[in-house]
Amino acid sequence: MIKDFVYLRPSTVKETLLSLSKYQEDCKIIAGGQSLLILMRQGLVAPKYLIDIKNLQELNYIRFDPKEGLKIGATTTHRAIEKSTVIQEKFGILAEMEGKLASIQTRNWGTIGGNLCHGEPAGDPAPLLIALKANLKLANLNGERRMAVEDFSLDYFETALTKDELLLEIQVPLPPVRTATCFDKFTIIQNDMAIVSVAASVTLNDGTLCKEARIVLGGAAPTPRRATMAEEILVGKRLDDALLEQIGQKASEQAEPLSDIHASEEYRRQLVKILTKRMVKKAWEKVQRLT
Amino acid sequence: MEKQLLRITVNSQGYELYINPKALLVEVLRDHLNLSGTKRGCESASCGLCTVLLNGMAVKSCSILALQAEGAEIITVEGLAEGSLLHPIQKAFLDHGAFQCGFCTSGMLMSAKAFLDENQNPTMEEIREGIHGNLCRCTGYRSILRAISAAAEDIGRGR
Amino acid sequence: MKYTVLNTPVHNLDGMAKVTGRATYTFDIKLPNMLYGKILRSPHPHAKILNIDTSKAERVMGVEAVVTGKDTLGVKQGTWRRYPDLCDEEILARKKVRYIGEPVAAVAAVNEDTAEEALNLIEVDYEPLPAVFNPMEAIKEGAPQIHEGAERNINVTRHMEWGDVEEGFKKSDYIREDWFKCSSQAHVSMETHCAVADFTPDGKLTVWTSAQSPYFIQVLLSWVLGLKESNVRVISRYVGGAFGGKVELDSAQFCSSLLSMKLCKPVKVVLTREEEFTATRRRTPMVYYLKTGVKKDGTFMAKECRVFTDGGAYTAFGATALYLTGFFQSFPYKWPSYRYDGYRVYTNTIPSSAMRGFGAPQATFAGETQIDLIAGDLGISPIEVRRKNGMTPNYEIPGQATIQSCGLRQCLDRIEEWIKSRGETPPNRGIGTASYGFMSGGIFNWFDTPYAFSSAIIKVNVDGKVDLFIGAHDLGQGSNTTLAMICAEELGVHTEDIRIHTGDTDICPVDLGAWGSRQTLMSGNAVKMAASEVKRQLLEFATAKLGPNVIYDLDIKDRWVHIVARPDKRISYFEVLKDAIRAKNGQPIMGRGYYTPHRKGMISPAYSFGVQAVEVEVDPETGKISLINVVTAHDCGQVINPLGVKGQLEGAIAMAAGYGFTEDLPMENGNILNPNLVDYKLLRATEIPEIEIIEIDTYEPEGPFGAKEAGEGLTNPTAAALANAVFNAVGVSIKELPITPEKVLKALKEKSQKKTELR
Repeated sequence: MIKDFVYLRPSTVKETLLSLSKYQEDCKIIAGGQSLLILMRQGLVAPKYLIDIKNLQELNYIRFDPKEGLKIGATTTHRAIEKSTVIQEKFGILAEMEGKLASIQTRNWGTIGGNLCHGEPAGDPAPLLIALKANLKLANLNGERRMAVEDFSLDYFETALTKDELLLEIQVPLPPVRTATCFDKFTIIQNDMAIVSVAASVTLNDGTLCKEARIVLGGAAPTPRRATMAEEILVGKRLDDALLEQIGQKASEQAEPLSDIHASEEYRRQLVKILTKRMVKKAWEKVQRLT
Repeated sequence: MEKQLLRITVNSQGYELYINPKALLVEVLRDHLNLSGTKRGCESASCGLCTVLLNGMAVKSCSILALQAEGAEIITVEGLAEGSLLHPIQKAFLDHGAFQCGFCTSGMLMSAKAFLDENQNPTMEEIREGIHGNLCRCTGYRSILRAISAAAEDIGRGR
Repeated sequence: MKYTVLNTPVHNLDGMAKVTGRATYTFDIKLPNMLYGKILRSPHPHAKILNIDTSKAERVMGVEAVVTGKDTLGVKQGTWRRYPDLCDEEILARKKVRYIGEPVAAVAAVNEDTAEEALNLIEVDYEPLPAVFNPMEAIKEGAPQIHEGAERNINVTRHMEWGDVEEGFKKSDYIREDWFKCSSQAHVSMETHCAVADFTPDGKLTVWTSAQSPYFIQVLLSWVLGLKESNVRVISRYVGGAFGGKVELDSAQFCSSLLSMKLCKPVKVVLTREEEFTATRRRTPMVYYLKTGVKKDGTFMAKECRVFTDGGAYTAFGATALYLTGFFQSFPYKWPSYRYDGYRVYTNTIPSSAMRGFGAPQATFAGETQIDLIAGDLGISPIEVRRKNGMTPNYEIPGQATIQSCGLRQCLDRIEEWIKSRGETPPNRGIGTASYGFMSGGIFNWFDTPYAFSSAIIKVNVDGKVDLFIGAHDLGQGSNTTLAMICAEELGVHTEDIRIHTGDTDICPVDLGAWGSRQTLMSGNAVKMAASEVKRQLLEFATAKLGPNVIYDLDIKDRWVHIVARPDKRISYFEVLKDAIRAKNGQPIMGRGYYTPHRKGMISPAYSFGVQAVEVEVDPETGKISLINVVTAHDCGQVINPLGVKGQLEGAIAMAAGYGFTEDLPMENGNILNPNLVDYKLLRATEIPEIEIIEIDTYEPEGPFGAKEAGEGLTNPTAAALANAVFNAVGVSIKELPITPEKVLKALKEKSQKKTELR
């Protein structure tokens, strides 16, 4: 059962930061609450003060700038991202990922910021945002700081957010020309939490060789993990079947998956390999079609 | 715990309630307002039985603190019909037998309504995704898909 | 046969209430002065209860009562009342707990939160005992003994035999032996178990509850509480799903009643979804051994079957599952010789009991998978093997049962047609088939009731409204509508003229309730009989006016009483009614009906049949299975309620497919590892395949208008058809349920390794 708490509804970011600074460990931020309320019902989380930022319009926006890329406010819902025409046009893979996240009801109320701060290693947004080189804007009373999404997750359900900090914004830079990004997850039931997920981003140089690659694994380690050694195999080369096999194999070696009732460690590794191969191939073929 | 004021509109009726801040929206609807049409079926926000419309969006009322719905317009299954005039989706459910035990029906109807309000010409694939968040153990979903498809046509003709 | 009402699409009688949110389930019931109850459950799989200290809990503000086993009469109850040693469950444990989740105390308080708080303050001293979780371990010498008197933890044994299997094997050209593992499954009714009990100072107990058989609950409650049956009233109007999980007396009903009796106030207990998974019932997991002998042309000669079922901590309804799995293992074929030995073994886990199919889905999975393997070994088409040995109308299973109507052959033909129409399947796709037969209710009276198995009372009012009082219960399967249609057809009126009264033991006649697929046939027969009696009375009054040669030249159709040979010679049914009422002392016209099967063999009065084809696609790199098509040809005799039948079939496929490849209850040391709807994988609207249903027309003499069951039998074949489809798609046969992608991938790897080794 949910324990009693004092409910606060700040009307500005500034007020929120003030409360955070005042209450620190004794408080928790709630946005959509789609993850948090379940934990509170189980008694796993029992803050004295609950700070509701769901209706903070200050943080509810999607802005696109032709130079700086995409800026998404932390309390933007998954559904808004899924349905945003500018995101569908410019960052289609983000909208696609959101469309496969849980159910419409969850997406209507749950927020991208809440999702990232929850720190579920099998969550969908983080691996994709890392592949897209996204950054986060965090703030406390002392000021703001930026951090790559890649550095945000520290461990299972643990992020780099300090006790007095608030996530303000997710920034997705414009991908370099000749870049394609793909994402997929393996589930038994559609839209379920990933058993394993892979986001792959491929950038070509002026010719036919890979200039840059990002391969990010979800649900295969305590945090979303870049399979850097697998990436290195592709950089500077042209993709072929033999290389693809190596890339998949290396990615599965870089995974550190758990065994649970849904999949054994061995099976998760196998899935990492297959999904990596599929996503890298798909991204490679997608980028060929762009040029 | 000190109670807080909640102002909310449910099925076009305005209410002012004093509630414990930890009260969930579904608890306010079922226990304070005695609207028992909305059901609950799990503790993990997985089943969708508690689905209602909040400002036109389908949401799980078990996963929303009532205070977060301050100033919002909620529609529950009790607000679908106008007197004895059923909403096309209710009529379609009756015509197609799109329910059996009926416990998931309220939530299913609300998801369907929200879906059809947004998508007037849905494909079967879209309808499946539209009710993905609502579990049904009895029907195997197909009668529900048929009903929603029929309702879409019916609503289209009505326009 | 031309019927006016039967097999027409009719709005479900409960539909208006359900689509407007007006249907009040037990979950919704609120009474004045009502308290809320919560149950404390054992964290140990096996332990002695040394002491329970409830004093701290009692002192919590808002708590009104706490009860433990000491507050009960200590009655060991069970549904098989005829066999006292199978009545082994106290529900609120007194001396010993035998599974994690077994109730040990209950609290009534002003709200749920307070009750839950109080639970945490109840101090129970346990002495943990060694526990055993696997039936194969539990039958070993020296295993912890779970029940006194149950040596080697064997709860029930069953033996079934006809012919001489040893002779049969000797005469066989080919013999195959296989082991199968059938998993458990959770019912996952959308409405969890719940009850509101109200004991009043006059010594009467009223219990609102979500139950399959209000009569069973009435009798069992009166037994365990020491009350007269007639002082217990069970009311169950709308039920949010059951599927076999709500036939027995449960902890919500028992604890709420106990608390209410202590306080003389209404007490409501609603189980959480987690309790639903961990502390109610589940499908019986089974380990299956099959040895089958056939001739090289595929003719069946002998089958030997040995089954060990994981019974969990108590008998529950599991003895029936043990019995039925052995019987339906032989279905739907003619076996010259057959032998079944089944053992139900106690373990320290949640009791396994009745779940849709009742042991037959497990039997069908093992049997039908093996048949495809045998067909493959012999190079014969699996449909041909089935056709060669399939049951036919009026077949007698030696010493066991007589099949009357049987549409199996037609089902096989239609499915074969469909498969041919699919043409060649693309790579990694496969179609698999399975056949089944199932009962329409059981003839056994293990509950030991003196009443007819089904009864009905009709009262016709002057404006034509027909009050139909039945004990048969509608859980969503549509029995209210189906029985109203039978009544309307027989009486000659419209379905909307019928007003159903059910779910109240004070008012309604006794019926064993909704389980074992019995209601369409048994309750249907009772309703038909009652309607026939009413019609007869009305026709007596019409005879003078219409002047037929004799009364049975008259009939009623579409609210017109007419001469059968000359339908234009007719008078209004309402006129006849008025006359009849006037003549019968101003009393509404009444009729009574009842049905108990007799002289119908040892199992069931009638059997449904069917053949199902499942088409799947398998991803050979991940093992993931996608359902493409499910086509079912089925024989349920005369279709009464077509929307109802369709709904039952489609719903059965979803549940049975889940059993085949996504649902499971993995356990560790007696703990269920996925007691929630995130980790327990139900199919959603996005996974349901295209479903086609082919009705095969037969007439069952034992059923009302020729009808038999539809809906439980259809949960039998899907797991097997799916397994066979996977085999045809990618060449691996998985013999352990559920057929997960990981298992498929592992099997594929082993297969390719074997290939490499052979080279």
